Amino acid sequence: MRKTSQLSCLYLWMLLVPLLSINASVTADTLPVDETQYALVDVGVLAIRGYRDSINRWQPTMQWLEQQIPGTYFRLHPMTLDELSDAVATQDLDFVITNPGQSVLLARQYSLSWLATLKSRLNGGQPMQVGSALVVRRDSPIQAFADLKDKRLAIVSPHAFGGYLTLVYAAWKQQIDLPNTVAQLLPTGFPLDNLLYALRDGKADAAVVPVCQLEQMAAEHLLNADNYRIVEDHTPAGLGCKVSTALYPNWSLAKTSRAGQKLAKQVTQALLALPEQSAAATAADSLGWTTAVSQLTIDRMYKDLDMHPLQAPWWQRAMVWLKEHSQWGWSILLLLISLNAYHFWLEYRFNRRGHQLAQAQRKLSENLVLLEHAQRAAVAGELGASLAHELNQPLAAIGNYCHGASVRLQQGQLEKLPQALQQIDAEVGRARAIIQRLRGLLKKQPAAKQQQLLRPLLLDTVELLQFELDKQQIQLQWQLLGREQRQWLEPVAIQQLLVNLLKNAIDALAECPQTDKRIEVLLDYRQPQQVMVQIQDNGPGLSRDACELMQAFTSTKRQGLGLGLVICREIVESHGGKLSMSNADSGGCLVQLSLSLKEQTDG
Amino acid sequence: MVEDKHTVYLVDDDASVLRSLSFMLESYDFQVREFASAEAFIAAEVWQQTGCVILDMRMPGLSGQQLHQLLRQHQSPLAVIYLTGHGDVPLAVDALKQGAVDFFQKPADGAMLAQAVTKAMQSSQANALRLQQLQTYQKLTPREREILKLIAKGYKNQQIADELFIAVRTVEIHRANLMRGMQVDSLAELMLTYAAIANTLAQSDG
Repeated sequence: MRKTSQLSCLYLWMLLVPLLSINASVTADTLPVDETQYALVDVGVLAIRGYRDSINRWQPTMQWLEQQIPGTYFRLHPMTLDELSDAVATQDLDFVITNPGQSVLLARQYSLSWLATLKSRLNGGQPMQVGSALVVRRDSPIQAFADLKDKRLAIVSPHAFGGYLTLVYAAWKQQIDLPNTVAQLLPTGFPLDNLLYALRDGKADAAVVPVCQLEQMAAEHLLNADNYRIVEDHTPAGLGCKVSTALYPNWSLAKTSRAGQKLAKQVTQALLALPEQSAAATAADSLGWTTAVSQLTIDRMYKDLDMHPLQAPWWQRAMVWLKEHSQWGWSILLLLISLNAYHFWLEYRFNRRGHQLAQAQRKLSENLVLLEHAQRAAVAGELGASLAHELNQPLAAIGNYCHGASVRLQQGQLEKLPQALQQIDAEVGRARAIIQRLRGLLKKQPAAKQQQLLRPLLLDTVELLQFELDKQQIQLQWQLLGREQRQWLEPVAIQQLLVNLLKNAIDALAECPQTDKRIEVLLDYRQPQQVMVQIQDNGPGLSRDACELMQAFTSTKRQGLGLGLVICREIVESHGGKLSMSNADSGGCLVQLSLSLKEQTDG
Repeated sequence: MVEDKHTVYLVDDDASVLRSLSFMLESYDFQVREFASAEAFIAAEVWQQTGCVILDMRMPGLSGQQLHQLLRQHQSPLAVIYLTGHGDVPLAVDALKQGAVDFFQKPADGAMLAQAVTKAMQSSQANALRLQQLQTYQKLTPREREILKLIAKGYKNQQIADELFIAVRTVEIHRANLMRGMQVDSLAELMLTYAAIANTLAQSDG
């Protein structure tokens, strides 16, 4: 199907005008013309009932014009809506004759001057011809548009201009949304007689007919007009038929920008001079022509109904476009489908990947916990000698008290026994404290962060390492700067951090021969957001690059795992801080780290 | 001798070990004096007392071995028992060679420690006696020591006089001085004491 014919079909329905078909007996055969002798005038006419019908209708008018304006030859071009628009656009026409619906469309798009309007035969020669009548049975309770609520309404077509839209507009002016008020719209199609038959047979409660339809059928004795009644009678004076709506202009003639002013004047004069009963007027189903009537009423109606040809509902325009470009439509549909499919595929992939990532992260954090634990266990192992010594002292003391007490019991010396028991109790407490400290380091799951001071953790750690310090004859001094304050700390992790760093310092000092061995620890609270911790020894300093040392499995110790500093950095970062190592100016290694005083959001 | 013979001197930097050992040893009727460090012990100046020193090997400041060496330099009769936190076998062997009576690993068995202390007390008394005899011997004149040597070889007074080209009467006077100086009443007693001293002398010469 060709696109143009499709389109014109669509508009034909939309702009349907009730026409009484009266075949003009004028032959449309064109005479052979010598174009050099005559001025050629092209007239486009909307062919709503086929080309032949158009020629029959308008050729007599062309001949009338040729008679009235000597030296001209009027060439008639019956055209569909699209063809007419295109011809106007390409300036192939001088004049245009078209119906009220299309005239609005053309006037909107192109510069047209309306010269004359056809006088209606129905309306006493008035140029207003188009309108609708709402017909009901005489005994019907329907007295106004409002009474149509929940009734069945017969119409010729939802797009018919004179037969339907004019009535919808009249109802709209009374704030009644007709299509949504009635129970059912019954489109009966052509011939128009069907409308009134549907009413007569009780298939509909009311019918919308083009003006004069009822009167004409009555004249032909097809119906008895007395059995029917017109609702909302707005019949203007002089009109032979009853009408429920305002009347709209008849067909009109317009000049395009191609036609000259002089010719336009001549054509207008000729048309106005056309006698009412002439063959040309009769063929055009009219009483001749009159001066142009404003198209504004039609334009406003379309606009108000939101059905203006240029404001066609978006879906209609989309449909038209789609039909014209079906290959694009299919491509877009295909694209949409494939995009959708791609989207779902991506989402699926995303979900799956997200799931995998979450799993990997969980695994990673589990491994990190295990790693930290392994390193703590390794540290605890290194501290073994120290711990054995630490634990031995209270055990030895307890043993001594017990032995002494039993000897005294045998001898009956009881006076000092309560004191011995007290001492035993104190020693057990001491052992318990040591084990407590160790247990913290060996815990598999790091404890949650708690608000506390850093200093007690440092002192506890120094206690754990005291034996090592004594053994190597190292002096450990610590200093506090600023006002200390509580912060969110993970005690076990911090202890592990301090054990690692202090043990590093001790190991470094153990290797060097000097006698004055020192470790200095500084807690600096003078900055507002963080506490700075410095651990400095006077040993040989770093033998390798600090960055290198902080990577996993890099160690300068023969038996080291190379994890200590990695874990230290991990711990410091989880407390919102930074860890750095360097060689101090005075020799030895300087470890600097910061711990945030604010709560960290992550665990 | 000012102090009771049964004094035990405890030297350990760990206060709780110090107190508990003291409690246990007191139940065995030993008199106990506590020192928190080697330096504190030195300050007390008890070098010439008899008794037993229980020494912690590892202490801040002077270590147990360093104090033991000082005791030997002072020719102290005090007997030494070592206590150590964890058994350093080479250290222990060394310590015993240097004359320590015994060596214990903490926690020490109370009864065995008490036994060792008792043994150390006896050892200390023996040390004290031997040192006293040595001092007496060292107070003798060279002539008296020469005569003592010959007596020990079984020489009669005449033989000694002949050997040394002196008068028998002179030998007799020296011999009487000798007996008084060595605080012995009989020849047999003199010989026993001399044997002990000779042994010590031979050791110190060797």
